[in-house]
Amino acid sequence: MSKTSISIITLAGVAAATLIAFGQPAFAASERTVKIAGWGAKSGPLRSFGVNSEAVLTAAVKSINDAGGVKLGDGTMVPMEFTYYDSACNADQAISVARKVESQTDALIGIGPTCSGAAAAMYGIFQKTVDDASDTGLQFPILTDTAIRPGLAKKSQWTFRNVPNEITMYDELFSWLRTQYPDAKTIYGGTETDQAHSKLTFAIVIVPLAKKHGFEWVGGGIEGVTGKVRDGYENVLEVSKSSNWLMADTNFSVQARAFKKSGADMMIVSSHPFTTCGMLKEMKRQRINPKVLVGLTSSSSAETLKGCADAAEGMYIPTGFAPITDAAAAVASAAQANGGFADLHSAAAWENAHIIKQVVESMGVMAKPDTLQADRRKVRDGLEALVSVNGLMGEIGRVQDEGESVKPFVFVQAEGGSWEVVHDPR
Amino acid sequence: MSYYLGLVQLIGIHTLLGLSAYVLMLTGQLSLGQAGFFAIGAYSAGILTVIFELPILPALLVGACIAAFFAFLVGFPALRVKGLMLVVATIAFGEFVRLFFFNLSWRVPRDGIEVGPDSTNGFREIRYFVANGWSAWEITTFVWVFVILVMVALWWMDRSRAGAVLRAVGEDELAAQSVGINLTAVKVTAMTAGGFIAGIGGALYAHTATYVDHLTFTVLLATFAISYPILGGLSSVIGTLVAVIFIQGVLVEGLRFLGDWRNIVFGLLIIAAMNLKPSGLFDARTARILKRAASLGRRG
Repeated sequence: MSKTSISIITLAGVAAATLIAFGQPAFAASERTVKIAGWGAKSGPLRSFGVNSEAVLTAAVKSINDAGGVKLGDGTMVPMEFTYYDSACNADQAISVARKVESQTDALIGIGPTCSGAAAAMYGIFQKTVDDASDTGLQFPILTDTAIRPGLAKKSQWTFRNVPNEITMYDELFSWLRTQYPDAKTIYGGTETDQAHSKLTFAIVIVPLAKKHGFEWVGGGIEGVTGKVRDGYENVLEVSKSSNWLMADTNFSVQARAFKKSGADMMIVSSHPFTTCGMLKEMKRQRINPKVLVGLTSSSSAETLKGCADAAEGMYIPTGFAPITDAAAAVASAAQANGGFADLHSAAAWENAHIIKQVVESMGVMAKPDTLQADRRKVRDGLEALVSVNGLMGEIGRVQDEGESVKPFVFVQAEGGSWEVVHDPR
Repeated sequence: MSYYLGLVQLIGIHTLLGLSAYVLMLTGQLSLGQAGFFAIGAYSAGILTVIFELPILPALLVGACIAAFFAFLVGFPALRVKGLMLVVATIAFGEFVRLFFFNLSWRVPRDGIEVGPDSTNGFREIRYFVANGWSAWEITTFVWVFVILVMVALWWMDRSRAGAVLRAVGEDELAAQSVGINLTAVKVTAMTAGGFIAGIGGALYAHTATYVDHLTFTVLLATFAISYPILGGLSSVIGTLVAVIFIQGVLVEGLRFLGDWRNIVFGLLIIAAMNLKPSGLFDARTARILKRAASLGRRG
């Protein structure tokens, strides 16, 4: 076969793939269904976020359809359908998927993206204030399940989130740890500084709230940290104070040595499972055994246990999901059956699907091609009007003007290769 | 429709990024610092429209000039080295810029909220287009006016003495120097022009995405910048555009339906394209074939 023939065949293949992708009809002629779109990182280092989210969403939609589907405004019961897209934890791709879903599909609402950076970028292309004719941003409701960085949803009145409130969680955690470890006086820790969620939660939330409950940074505290959220947070990240790393780091010996040298009673490892495991393994190798070890919410996942269950032994984390109710246990099993894990991030996808069902039914959505825009608006208005909903762990409150949630939580500890609930403040 | 227009905007912006590397590659230099100039254009123009409330056009041009200025400064020391050493030097510059913006915090109050770059939190609220009622069509047209202007300028330059000088330096530095060409001046000029073009691209990117942070400008973006002219071919500016359409339009967006397989197919197709068209997707031969086909079409 000549080179020219191979070129022609390859180009024809690429052209065919493109035609398949772009040539799909914008709106498939089908029976009425409640369509939702999900997207998140299904490729790259944070792939597990998207995989878990999709697995839980699959289970949620199946449970809704098994129970008869969703009731529309005219009383018709219809099934719920969803499509999940890979946006790769990337701002451009999250924006692109949002535009695609809004203009090329008849989805009523989107669930995603999984990464905070992608969410922060994507929310910016939505109309900021509803009915503002001078703002040409997208008019499509979003109910994010995973991206947890504080304060994102208020960027647009079309964007909502069902993610835990870390300020309340760590406040309660340190209050409880104070009672459990009255002798613990000093703290030390570090974070992955190129991940906004890890870094900001560490500097703005964890260290100040530890101080609030009487845990003092080794060496006489940190200037400006008063025990109030945000106070003195820049100083927390000074190299002379905390010992930090980056997400791509693979060697943590210097940081672990600093942890050891600090001799602190309580140590904080504020990072995602990938570097949390690297750091914890190095701490174990250097025989560092603090009285109390505290981790970031995002590390209360199966990835941490899969990667370093031994090294994580004893670590405390507050989490918005644990299989401690019948419903939560059922979701955990269903997610595993679908090839993923239910954790504090992905479990929200289950709640989101059920919240959408509730909103669609209460707002009289019609799910017809000619009512698409009106239906999307009804879903948005319905989400805004929600005061509370039933979640897997109990009642979820809403902060209406910010589009955020107040979720129930528990404290878990790594014990023998699993997360055990050690305190339930609900 | 907004999806397709968004994609067309992205293709336009990445074409500018690719062309910024193309100019320098004509002189035989490979720079991985283009993401840095792109970042400077993005942040500078964003700061000008958000904090100083300037209209988009002056903000964009000032952003591009700032990027060009830094390219000029970087050009002198960086272009004293070449080949792999230049690649390492420009990576270092790109990382320096990325980490600078990673730490940059400049917040000012506007309408009850704080706006401006916020270090790790990124730079949000760069909403000039949507906040001023620009439609997706208008934004796309605006982006492509710059893309076309830059392409025409480079096309014209390529056919002028300036283009011949750049290519002469790229082909054989010693021979070029022996006929009196000042190598440093040529390379620094190409670097500055590349910085200006990348700055325009960055400024447009920041305003279409409405948000930028340091993670946008990693070495991956710099790799894309040099991949476009390499994959498209250096025979013409059209090659870079063809490569951007191939990568962003076909491989990234067109193959999204493949799900988990997308990245594997992405890599395989890049390898296939490089093997089948080693001189670029739009090499001199392709250009000749298209020219002949066009002339036959006119006759017949």
